Amino acid sequence: MILNTLKKESKELFREGRIRIAFIFVITLTITAVFISAWHYKDINEEYVFAKQSEREIWDNQGEKNPHSAAHYGTYAFKPKYPLALIDQGVDKYTGTSIFLEAHKRNEAQFDEASDQTGLARFGNLTPDFVLMFIIPLLIILIAYNSLTKEKEMGTITLLNSQGAIGFKLIFGKWLAIFLPLFVLLFVLFTVSGIILSSLPDFGIFSWLSLAILFLTYVVYYAIFINLVLIISGLVKKSGIALVLSLSFWILVCLILPKTASNIAEYKHPYPTKQEFAANITKDKKEGLDGHNPWSEASKALAKQVLKEYGVDSLSQLPFNYDGYRMQKGEEHEAEIYFKHYKKLKIQHSNQSRIYRQLASISPFLPTRFLSMSIANTDYTTHWHFADAAENYRIETQKFLNEHFAKESKYGDWSWKANADFWKQLPKFNYKPPTLSEILKRNTGNILILLCWLLGSFAVLFLTTKSLKNVKV
Amino acid sequence: MLKYNFKYEWLLLIRNRWIQVLTILLFILFGFAAYNGTQKVKMRTSNLTSAINELQIKEREILSQLDSLEAGHELNISRWMMPTNPVVTGNLLPRVVNMPPKSTAFISTGQSDLFAHYVQPIVTGEDSTMNFKEMTSPTQLLFGSFDLTFVIVYLLPLLIIAFSFNILASERERGSLKLLASQPINIRVWVLQKLGLRFFWLVMVIIITLSLVFIIFDFDIKTNWMSFITLLSIIIAYTLFWFVLAFATNIWIRSSAKNAITLIGFWILFVLLSPTLINQISNTLYPIPSRTLMLNEMRSIKSEAIKKQDEILDNFLRNHPEYATNDSKQARGFYQKYMATQQLIQDELKPLLSEFESQINNQHKLVNASSWFSPALIVQNSLNQIAGTSTGDYQNFKRQSIIFSKEWRNFFKPMLFKGEKFKKSDYKNLPEFRYRYASVNTYSKTFWLIIISSLILFLVLTPNKHQIELIS
Repeated sequence: MILNTLKKESKELFREGRIRIAFIFVITLTITAVFISAWHYKDINEEYVFAKQSEREIWDNQGEKNPHSAAHYGTYAFKPKYPLALIDQGVDKYTGTSIFLEAHKRNEAQFDEASDQTGLARFGNLTPDFVLMFIIPLLIILIAYNSLTKEKEMGTITLLNSQGAIGFKLIFGKWLAIFLPLFVLLFVLFTVSGIILSSLPDFGIFSWLSLAILFLTYVVYYAIFINLVLIISGLVKKSGIALVLSLSFWILVCLILPKTASNIAEYKHPYPTKQEFAANITKDKKEGLDGHNPWSEASKALAKQVLKEYGVDSLSQLPFNYDGYRMQKGEEHEAEIYFKHYKKLKIQHSNQSRIYRQLASISPFLPTRFLSMSIANTDYTTHWHFADAAENYRIETQKFLNEHFAKESKYGDWSWKANADFWKQLPKFNYKPPTLSEILKRNTGNILILLCWLLGSFAVLFLTTKSLKNVKV
Repeated sequence: MLKYNFKYEWLLLIRNRWIQVLTILLFILFGFAAYNGTQKVKMRTSNLTSAINELQIKEREILSQLDSLEAGHELNISRWMMPTNPVVTGNLLPRVVNMPPKSTAFISTGQSDLFAHYVQPIVTGEDSTMNFKEMTSPTQLLFGSFDLTFVIVYLLPLLIIAFSFNILASERERGSLKLLASQPINIRVWVLQKLGLRFFWLVMVIIITLSLVFIIFDFDIKTNWMSFITLLSIIIAYTLFWFVLAFATNIWIRSSAKNAITLIGFWILFVLLSPTLINQISNTLYPIPSRTLMLNEMRSIKSEAIKKQDEILDNFLRNHPEYATNDSKQARGFYQKYMATQQLIQDELKPLLSEFESQINNQHKLVNASSWFSPALIVQNSLNQIAGTSTGDYQNFKRQSIIFSKEWRNFFKPMLFKGEKFKKSDYKNLPEFRYRYASVNTYSKTFWLIIISSLILFLVLTPNKHQIELIS
């Protein structure tokens, strides 16, 4: 029964012009998207490798210089592009790609693509995730909206009933007929992407396992969509109405709810403006230890404490250059201030994420979107992970420079310069993105919600079409 | 006949609750969108006010410090922070260079969530790396915002489609079309009348609900009637376009399900795909040069420049005799060297930066030219312009801010190089910033929408199909 339905439905689907055209259209779109993204990815990656190298060269060849001048001169941390960004670009367009690492200051990542482009960029790019998240669900609606209504309109449902057809077997056959071509399409898309990615040079951290899990995520997403469209098709009488209802559902789930979620998240847990954030930090900094200012209260207290600790009367008697020591203490204090303020920001971020998760229970789009971005390492959390790693590297760099200054030079000698070879000793910035298991652990909530949607929609589909008598004619 | 049609269509629409449902639905959608918009504007205004307050507090502090210094008192401030140093004051009291929201800003989020609404350029700042990006969660930027523009551009066409996809086909499917054909009326004209009336009623519903929502959210229609009329006319032109499309589909395609699919196909094409495609094409034709590579270049120029600071300052003074003094002990401190070097770096970066500018401008030109192909884009752009949140507005703000930033720097520069002190009396001469919005003109766009609609209408009404074909 299942097999027969599958055969009959598949034949029917592929004989129908609109489905053929739609399939060809989606395939063309997908190929274009993959091609464009691969090209983009290759470009960005080359730039990244070049920029990283040349920035390091600039750092290494600073010549003789005071370590603190070098600290102000600073260096850059560049964010690598991850292989699976080929499939899901996530929020990459909106996050900066380079962070300036300098003394006393934690900087935000700068130069995101979106601010350099026209307003059109806000509509989205032609990327595989656009096709996967928005267009293929539309294709599902197009294929499946009349799956059951046509039986009612043609009156064949009575015939099926009289033959003693078992509802859920018939439905399962129809389900497979919709699902299999999509599965094949998706499988080919992911395999081709995998092959492209593993053939690119410097593909670094690409793993087939991540790709497979991403594939699975989309399979589940489509299964949910097929279930929902079939449920609608079982509940209404007319094909036209089934189509309009399915489409309204699509708009609600894919467009309205994400936007609403972002509005609610913003006014419930707003971010400070850039200037406000900076002003708060400046305020905190003013009250504490400033490495450049030996006259402040905090500096005087520190000097007293150090003198006491080493049992000497003047700073020049210390076994190290006190200027460097004070710089380092100031740096540590400032790093703490940044940590405090960024922690506040992170709390807002996690509050916002909670709102998205809450709304995910009424939109399967949201958990899929977040899970997909996470696996592709293109979500906001990964960006945080990178920014934190860059900040840690900045703190280490400052320590490295200040300690050298304190150890090698004499108190008060600001004209002292470090050796030209010294800069090469600074360890390189090596960023490791979160591993797959970490990502999955972080996304347990999204995975559970998605599974609930899958099982729930299957259950409802089964209940509403268990027997054909239940299907409203 | 028209009179009967008018009367019965109205009765029909009321009795099958179309009008009621549409009114309630539009009211909820418009209301929620306007609520979101006003929330955003409120946040924007309050952020701006607090920034200005903050500056005033700081101003008072610095002015009182100047007072004491001018009176000859000693202050417990480090040498680096003396407000008599023009650079210090120029850095401590940057103006809040801001872009206040228009009264219509709540209509469209546009680019307002991406870009900052105020910057505070300082004397030692760099114009080329001045950051105009707001600190927004990128997830939020990705999803966008539920605003009036979204309701009008995305949702309104779908309501029209639901409202009109089966006018003719349903008559055919019910068999009442034959009956109708026996009446002395051209079917095409009959469908046109029916759709025309629905168009009329929908427009009425839109005007009423929108006015109501605007009044609820304290929009002053009296003073801003021009923008309200412009807004309404663009919405009506867009509605007309979709109705004409629905009319064409009704005439040319037979079954109601196929009608729905065709219209939705148009929706996907115009609203979802064409912006994405145009964006992709403009990015491919006019790729923005790599910012990462720009950074590299900037770093190289800088590292070269810093090594030769003294030489640069000499050259600078030679080229700018107005800054040089006859005093052989002219101040050649940290800031003098810094400013001269900075100037050199900015000059050398100019060609690189203008490459960015020109590519972005090229993209804009292409996008503007091709947006005529997609009514959705026309409307989106016009609404952003009316709200003052379009890319153009933010570019405008960027340009004006950079000009002001130069003005600000040039105010302090002569003092710095001539070794003059900043005095309290200089304070009232500080340059002030006032943002000027570009004037909005969306009439040509509205007009264009009407022209496209008329063309389609003309095409459909040209009788190349017989009445009989329509009926069978």
